[in-house]
Amino acid sequence: MSSFKWRGRHLVLPLAAAVIVVAVGAAGALAASAKTTASTIKVAVLSDCQGAFGSFDGQDLAGVVSAMSQYAGAKPVDPNNPRKGWTGGQINGHPLKLVGVGCSNDRADTAIKETKRLMEQLGADVMIGPLSGDESIAVANYAKQHPTKTFVDGSAGAQDTTLKVRAPNFFRFNGDGAMWNAGLGDLAYNKLGWKTAAVVADDYSFAWTSAAGFIAEFCAVGGQVTKRVFPPLNTTDYSSYAQQMPTNVDGTFVAVGGAGLIPFLKAYEQAHGPIDGKKFIGNLFWGTPGQFEQLSTRVTGAYVGGAGTAGDLATPAAKNYANNIIGKWFKTIPPYGAAAPQAASTFTYGFFINTWGLIKGLQAVKGDISGGQKKLQAAVKKAVLPTAYGTIHLDKYNQGVIPVYYAQLYQKDGKLAVKTVGYIPNVDQTFGGTFSASTPAPGRTSPKCVKRTLPWIGKTQHPKVVG
Amino acid sequence: MSWRVTPDRVVGVGALGVAVLAPLLFSTYWVSTLLTETLFLGIVAASLVFLSAYGGMVSLAQVALYGITGFVLGNVVTNGNTKGLNLGWNPWLGVGLGIAIATTVALLLGALSSRSTGIYFLMITLTYGVIANLFFGQVTDFSGFGGISGIDAPAGIGPVTGHPNRLYYVALGVSVAVYALLRYIVRTPFGLALQGVRDDPVRMSSLGYNVMLHRTLAFGFAGFIASLGGVLFVWWNGHIDPASIDLGATIDVLIIAVIGGLTRVEGAWLGAFLYVLMLNYLPSITFLGSIGITQDRFHTLIGIVFLVIILVSPNGLIGLWERTLKLVGSSRFGRPAVEAPGGGTDV
Repeated sequence: MSSFKWRGRHLVLPLAAAVIVVAVGAAGALAASAKTTASTIKVAVLSDCQGAFGSFDGQDLAGVVSAMSQYAGAKPVDPNNPRKGWTGGQINGHPLKLVGVGCSNDRADTAIKETKRLMEQLGADVMIGPLSGDESIAVANYAKQHPTKTFVDGSAGAQDTTLKVRAPNFFRFNGDGAMWNAGLGDLAYNKLGWKTAAVVADDYSFAWTSAAGFIAEFCAVGGQVTKRVFPPLNTTDYSSYAQQMPTNVDGTFVAVGGAGLIPFLKAYEQAHGPIDGKKFIGNLFWGTPGQFEQLSTRVTGAYVGGAGTAGDLATPAAKNYANNIIGKWFKTIPPYGAAAPQAASTFTYGFFINTWGLIKGLQAVKGDISGGQKKLQAAVKKAVLPTAYGTIHLDKYNQGVIPVYYAQLYQKDGKLAVKTVGYIPNVDQTFGGTFSASTPAPGRTSPKCVKRTLPWIGKTQHPKVVG
Repeated sequence: MSWRVTPDRVVGVGALGVAVLAPLLFSTYWVSTLLTETLFLGIVAASLVFLSAYGGMVSLAQVALYGITGFVLGNVVTNGNTKGLNLGWNPWLGVGLGIAIATTVALLLGALSSRSTGIYFLMITLTYGVIANLFFGQVTDFSGFGGISGIDAPAGIGPVTGHPNRLYYVALGVSVAVYALLRYIVRTPFGLALQGVRDDPVRMSSLGYNVMLHRTLAFGFAGFIASLGGVLFVWWNGHIDPASIDLGATIDVLIIAVIGGLTRVEGAWLGAFLYVLMLNYLPSITFLGSIGITQDRFHTLIGIVFLVIILVSPNGLIGLWERTLKLVGSSRFGRPAVEAPGGGTDV
């Protein structure tokens, strides 16, 4: 070693750089510690503001903010912009502070990045979300690794999220995609007379689960699924997939959702001519407010799987939820306009009931989230929600047991409208014993098409609806 | 052996000292998230900088290679509750297999593209990235859209949640080792020949050097480096899916390398640090939202910062540092010839 000569000017820059790094880090540390207030319950929301379901971001946040306002004394910051969050709100004197709203894009990788930001950088205690299937599987796994935090789902409906992952601190009051389609297989085979069917679904966990519900039930009663087609989520050109759809079947079940639904149907018509609505059953997206209005009247007559919602239900509870809760706290929900008609959307309702379940848990423990949130988690598990569409409670894996509705598209004043026509109470995640932790997860080839018995076959009820 | 005190070395030692003491100086979030992410992103970017600075090859396949390691590791170590093979094997076997497979793939891909240079090499490696993304997105046996979740670090390093400093120190150790290895490699006959291949492949070929073999080996070696980053990434993230290695992620690593400076390996970690800071703190600035740069348009902001840095200093932050040294009259502390690859490759 030689020439060990310290010169002042040579040290200035490196020392300055080191000081800046330390200062920035210390500032971050101070900022993080400053955010810690003992009595405040820090809440984060994970929504999708991009990707296939980005247009439902407003509905997600409207559900959360409405529940906070209705049950925890909060108030929306802006009745026309749910993303701005809420002010006020408390549980037994513990303020409910919204520390951040995550912006995901239906991809699990983004959901995890956003969850880390919300929980670790912004220091949230509890999180509501995410929106879509694979995001929720990743978040449930994240929850498992962070047992001292509590997570409730938003509207995600992948089966694995609760049936396989089984995080003790992740709770889902909404159903999964298969549960939401209870009744459709029976309807297709026994009422519509379909003996064979084709299935097209987005190539990801929620749509696989959604298709699994239809396939399991349709095959259970004796139907045959002759073709399954799975275009990737976020596909823009569906022409090659539409070409693969067979026309020598009695009907087609469509579980292509979000931004892909309209492009798929257009591609289908280009390949096979105008759609006959009576030969189609769609999953929840065909009836989701904000989405179904974009469909052509050519799909009139098509049946639509549910999401545990029935916006036209002629009960005081259903009307109250739309007009006196969602319609009370929000005037409009962008980008789809008036708020009340969007109350029955999967997304508004899903985020609403999950937030409500969280609030019930917090109220049960009087806002005390100490002790690694174990008391809170036990309380959320016991929460029972008397929702607008029926009572929901959780099973042993923190999955909601829910009422399911399905609907039919019809024309009202020349425009497409949705009418609820079927109701099946108390659907659980095993789907009448079809699914369990040891059965293969829904996928491109599962479930297999086999005949079996389901408890609700032939017992679908027909609820009284408005109009 | 002579060892002069230069500003570079003082800063290097200072930075290393701060890094070693980081858990005492910074919050847990800073250490477990920002600095750990900086380190593994820096490793991946360093593999790109190495190829660019010493081989004249700007590769867009480094993220794909680190992703291959991550997917192999995820498939091998998980057990039952996620997509993929769920083999449930020993985590260290997963690490070994992940690195070995990624390095082998890198050698094969390197051989395939070894005749290409410049923009054609860039495009071929971009194709590799797209193929990897689509492969893992479409082949549900290995991943599918949702990817693999619940990947835990092995006992002794994980659980990451309970012991965030352990993974940080592992990442720091690997970073230091990677840096030392890169510094060593470029001084070996192979490294010197590689720089000759970079500067004048025709002359090197005339002298009897196998240009394609050198390029292939360099690409394979860079793949090995990237795979180390891949291991650290999945341990840190606990999850990997095709979006982790999509075009956006590929471009992000290129941006990191360019922001840091494509001429020197150190720039990779510098670029990664700035990128991670921007990623984490810029979305929290309310003012940006009020002028339309909301979270979903965040990459617009990254792009603006990227443009500013490139306009101010074409050689990135490292170039800025070197120009600053010149301004204060320290240019005589130039770097040794072997580590001065010239202007790098423009992108």
